[in-house]
Formats: sequence, structure tokens, C-alpha cells
Amino acid sequence: MTFVISSECIDNQDGSCIDVCPVDCIYEGERKNYINPVECIDCGACELVCPEVAIFPAKSVRSDATRQAFLEDNALFFTMTLPGRDEPLGNPGGARKVGPLETDTPLVSDWA
Amino acid sequence: MTAAADAAPADIVVVGAGPAGLWAAYCAGFRGLSVIVVDSHAEPGGQVAALYPNKKIYDIAGLPGVTGATLVSNLLEQAAPYEPRYLLGRRATSLHTGDRTGELAVELEDGTRLECSAVILASGVGGIEPRPLPVGHEWLGRGVSYTMADPSTYDGLDVVVVGGGDSAIDWALEALPHARSVTVVHRRRAFRAHAANVRRATDGGARLMTDCEIVAVDGDAVVRTVTLRARTGEVHSLRADAVVGALGLISDLGPLTTWGLEMHDRRIRVDTSMRTNLSGVFAIGDAAWYPGKVALMSTGFGDAATAANNAAVLIDPEAILAPGHSTDRSSEPVQEGAAS
Repeated sequence: MTFVISSECIDNQDGSCIDVCPVDCIYEGERKNYINPVECIDCGACELVCPEVAIFPAKSVRSDATRQAFLEDNALFFTMTLPGRDEPLGNPGGARKVGPLETDTPLVSDWA
Repeated sequence: MTAAADAAPADIVVVGAGPAGLWAAYCAGFRGLSVIVVDSHAEPGGQVAALYPNKKIYDIAGLPGVTGATLVSNLLEQAAPYEPRYLLGRRATSLHTGDRTGELAVELEDGTRLECSAVILASGVGGIEPRPLPVGHEWLGRGVSYTMADPSTYDGLDVVVVGGGDSAIDWALEALPHARSVTVVHRRRAFRAHAANVRRATDGGARLMTDCEIVAVDGDAVVRTVTLRARTGEVHSLRADAVVGALGLISDLGPLTTWGLEMHDRRIRVDTSMRTNLSGVFAIGDAAWYPGKVALMSTGFGDAATAANNAAVLIDPEAILAPGHSTDRSSEPVQEGAAS
């Protein structure tokens, strides 16, 4: 299981989630933040602090098509070669090791 | 404990004093094996104790609801009869492996070498440490710290606390009666700390700065100033004698990734006996991965029993894998009416 950051985060990145993540698995994109589902330990700290109420437990989003799409999109951020990068991000083991990524998945960059 | 006593060999070294590691200490102790438990964190209990000690946990078999703090203290009590040695607050930095007896050893950051016959890695998601400040880490001990000292240490000083959670505000409140000035710098738009405490801090004279980042720490022998940059781009410098990082805790697998262990993502691959690819080295709990692994405390406890008993056989090939029933070895008098 993991948590998912949904559309509410787009262009509203507060970043409190990044501050509280004990394994530093929330990565900062250009318009949105993304949770690495492999590195997430499922503690739920991010969900509690998000002022945009953008973060949900993965198992709770099945009935919501948008959030379900963002669950898949969160994983995609780490497995696809993002625009402007040479290879997939993978599981770097900490967002502070890579810094802000200044890019997004197509779903997010095209979000109106 | 003296350094020499610290370094005395044991049958098993458990790396990680979280729930799985503490339960491994019990299981190994039950087999009559001597155990050393090491952890980089100064307090036992791992994630449970460090991250959510007061949250109730509902998925431990036989305990309908238990706080992390109680669970940890129970685990310590359960292992206590076997007198495991705890070496806490010291990170395990290297693992020495070999095929011959006496070659297996875990080395700690202070150079202590712990020789053993088996190692059980119960290192979870890694060591838990304060999240470093974005700048100024090199001033650690010369004005920069990650914990609050005795508040009277701040008498007459200009104190800057960095962070936006409860600990940042709590520390500001502690320093306020002593310090000449207290400034709390938080890079987000709002504090996460309890609103009532934030108000107390403001009422008490603390200066709270949101949307503001610390971008430089300067001084001579000790810290003298910090430079702050607001989201608006405005930069200014502030007198500071003490800079306290209150950015929460963060875990990191650390040196373990360089020990030659076969990994699966960020976990250590084990077989059904919890054996890793390294001879005499087992892994359990959140640190371990096998097909179908479910990372929960309840499965971690099972991993611990599997690893400790397989280690018992590894150490003494004549030994039987099953440990026998704990009910047969009750160290306490049987209470009237209680099942034996």
C-alpha cells in the first residue's frame, strides 16, 4: 500500500508532506509532488499535514476515477523517462538526494 | 559499560532495536544464545517509538489495542530474562563476513568490533536521525544543534529555530523565558504545530517567519548570523548565537547498502529461513524481502522467530530447529487457576 497525491496538489504545492515524510519519499515536480510507492512505508504522516487535503491512502481511491488515475500517475513519475530527463528516476532512496525535479508526468503537465 | 565489555563476542548480533529486532532478541535468548542488540538511535523501539509512540496499534495478535510505547516496553520486558546487551546510539557501519568461525563481525561507528556467529539484520527502513538543516550543518556543535539543550543554556542568546512542526514551536516556547530573542523560521506558508502553542509563542514574544528559508549560517569560532530568504525574494541577515534544527526525523538505510547484500528495491532479499546471500547473516521485518512479503509488525515477529531458530541450528548443527514450547519453561510460578 502507499498514499497518493491527487489533483488538488497541482499548482498548490505546499510541501508540508515533504517536511514530515520520515523516509523522504515525496519528490517535488514542477507543478505537483509525487509519492514513490516503492519507498513509501505507509505511515500516513503526509495525509495529516496536507493543507490542500490532496493526499489519500491508496486503498481508499478505488471508487474515485480521478484519484485512481493519480495513483497510477504517482508510480509512473518514477518508472517513465520524464520530459527533459535521460532515464527513469527509479527509487533514488530520498528526495533530498535529487532535489526538485522541475518536470512532471504528461497527466500533470497537461492538467488544465 | 566499559569498551572491553561492549566488545565481548556474542552468539548473535541483532542490528536494529525495533519490534522485530527486540523479538529476535527474545527468540534467540530462549534458545540459550547470547545476544547483542545495536541501534543508531539512542532509544529502543525503532520507528514505532520514534515516529508514533502514542498512536494505538490494532494489528498485533492478541493485543486488541496497544500504543507503540507500551509495545516496546513489553518487548524489552519479555527479552529481559535473557539479558541481551543493548548498544544503542551507535550506528553499525560495516559487516565482516567469512567462511570460518570467528570471522563474522559487525563494526560500529566508534570502532567497536562485535564478533559473533550469526547476524540478524532488523534494520527496518534504516537508521533514524534528525533531518539535516539545508545549510549550516558544518556548524554542528558550534552553535548549530538538532536537539534542545537545557533551556538555561540560551540565557541572553539570540536563538533561531528552524522548522514548522510541534517540536519547533515547543522548543521556541522552552527557549523564550531565557533567550534574548527567539525566531522560528519555516519554509512553508503555515505552521503545522498546534495553533494554541503557535499563539503562545507569538504572545511570548517569539518572531515567527513563514514562507522563509535559511540560506546561510556564518560566524567565526561559533555561529554569529544566519541569512534568511523570504519567498518574495527578500533577503536579510539576523544575529544568531544558537540555531536549532527542528525538521523532524528521517531514516536512511545508510552503510548497509554497501555490505554486499542482495537487495530487492530497498529491502534485503532472504529465503524462507530468513537467510540472506551472506553466510551467517539473516534479515527480518521491514528490512527483509521475499516473494509475498507483507511488511507488518505481525509478520516481522514471525520473521524474527524463523531467523533466530535457524541461527540456533547454524551455530549448533546438533540443535533442533523447533525451539520447544515457552509454556514448558515458565520462569514464573504458575498462578492459581491459570493454564500451565
